[in-house]
Amino acid sequence: MFVPVIGASAAEILILSGAGLAGLGAAFGVALAFASKKFQVEVDPRLEQITVLLPGANCGACGFAGCSGYAEALVKGTADIGICSPSSLQATAQIAGLLGKEAGEKEKVVAFLHCAGGKVSKRRFTYDGIGTCASAALIGGGDLACEFGCLAYNDCVRACPFGAIEINEIGMPRVDPQKCTGCGICVKVCPKNLFELVPANKTILVACSNTERGRFVRLICDIGCIGCFKCAKTCKYEAIEMKEGLAIIHHEKCTVCGECIPVCPKNIIHNFAEAGVPAQQESAEPPPEGNQS
Amino acid sequence: MDFGQIFAIIIGMIFVNNFVFARFLGLCPYMGLTKEMSSAIGMGMAVVFVMTLASMATWPVYRYFLDPFGLERILRTASFILVIAALVQFIEMVLQKVNPALYKAMGIYLPIITTNCTILGVAVLNIDTFYKDGKPLSGGFLGSIIQGFSAGIGFTLAMVLMASVRERMEMANIPKPLRGIPIAFITAGLMSMAFLGFSGLIKMT
Repeated sequence: MFVPVIGASAAEILILSGAGLAGLGAAFGVALAFASKKFQVEVDPRLEQITVLLPGANCGACGFAGCSGYAEALVKGTADIGICSPSSLQATAQIAGLLGKEAGEKEKVVAFLHCAGGKVSKRRFTYDGIGTCASAALIGGGDLACEFGCLAYNDCVRACPFGAIEINEIGMPRVDPQKCTGCGICVKVCPKNLFELVPANKTILVACSNTERGRFVRLICDIGCIGCFKCAKTCKYEAIEMKEGLAIIHHEKCTVCGECIPVCPKNIIHNFAEAGVPAQQESAEPPPEGNQS
Repeated sequence: MDFGQIFAIIIGMIFVNNFVFARFLGLCPYMGLTKEMSSAIGMGMAVVFVMTLASMATWPVYRYFLDPFGLERILRTASFILVIAALVQFIEMVLQKVNPALYKAMGIYLPIITTNCTILGVAVLNIDTFYKDGKPLSGGFLGSIIQGFSAGIGFTLAMVLMASVRERMEMANIPKPLRGIPIAFITAGLMSMAFLGFSGLIKMT
């Protein structure tokens, strides 16, 4: 047993320690209160209000370090108001109101993946490395037979801060246009550059990126675009251009009439407004060639 | 305090009696903030800063307040915590006002380490090292400051080593039950064993 203070009674020890600690605490409390007044930092109240209005996803699409970084830049006046794509138009207008400025018009864009292969696509070799697209793409462009296609190791699924990319039944990443905010992170993350940001109303696109001629494409993929020109001839608005062996739909000219979709022999033109797996992926057999105009 | 003693303190605190690997203190921020190198370095800087200042603050309190009144053993823990908490609050306020850039870099870690066991540990260790038979050794104040600083450096070393391993482990194929904290603890144990190689170099008090 220890003897704290030699010759002191229990009561004296109690009083001494209690008073000592209380005194110390009081002294520090006063000092801190004084210091908090002296070292007060002026914070603009609008900063708090704007941070609440922003989506809070910290996706970085605006180019600033998270939503708080963007809010600070807005209050300082060094950032434009409309550059946050995930924000709703209403929130942007409210932010503009807070800052006393006009908000610009921003068209909603969504991401689209130009590939429909997924796990059913033919592979050149067995890849047994790190399970990310970025790593697989380092090995000769990836283990896919098609050098342009989606490797389906789901880097984009993990990168999307809004959970808008899901894996469908055949292992293919698919963007949900309802959840997609057009932030553009998937575009940067995909090592094969397969994502494109398109206006949300232009929903008909070719789900292939292989520009090689038809006979080579048929060897490596059951569903890839073979460059047969049928869609380009059908389109009344001249919105479809043939780039070597690949059809590309220009969304500026496209009126979303949908006449190109049934004409395609590989059913590779998809309307991403329609939910579910496109019909041609449910059966692995492509329709036979040369049975219509 | 001759140079030999100072050198012994520094080497002892950083390698031989490392706060994380030899004394197993501060495991909470060690596990929580070593997922990324940037947070590990930020936390390390904050710990060095606070450990040095805490050593500077707690020594006078012990020497001139607790010791003369004979309250050393009763009130040591409580008063040290009080002093350290008030000190860290004060530092945070001053830092935010005086240097916002530095505040952004490491100020966010200051509230975490307010009552962390490492800070209290270093304060108590200073007392244990530099008090003999109830009397303070000469040069005790300077020794405490150096000890606090070196302990912080040792903690930062442990954090940086762990962060570099954990960043690599993100990519590795770890069995599902071991992912996250379990494998981090196993790694820490292995690193601790490696640091055992230094043991006996300098006597641990």
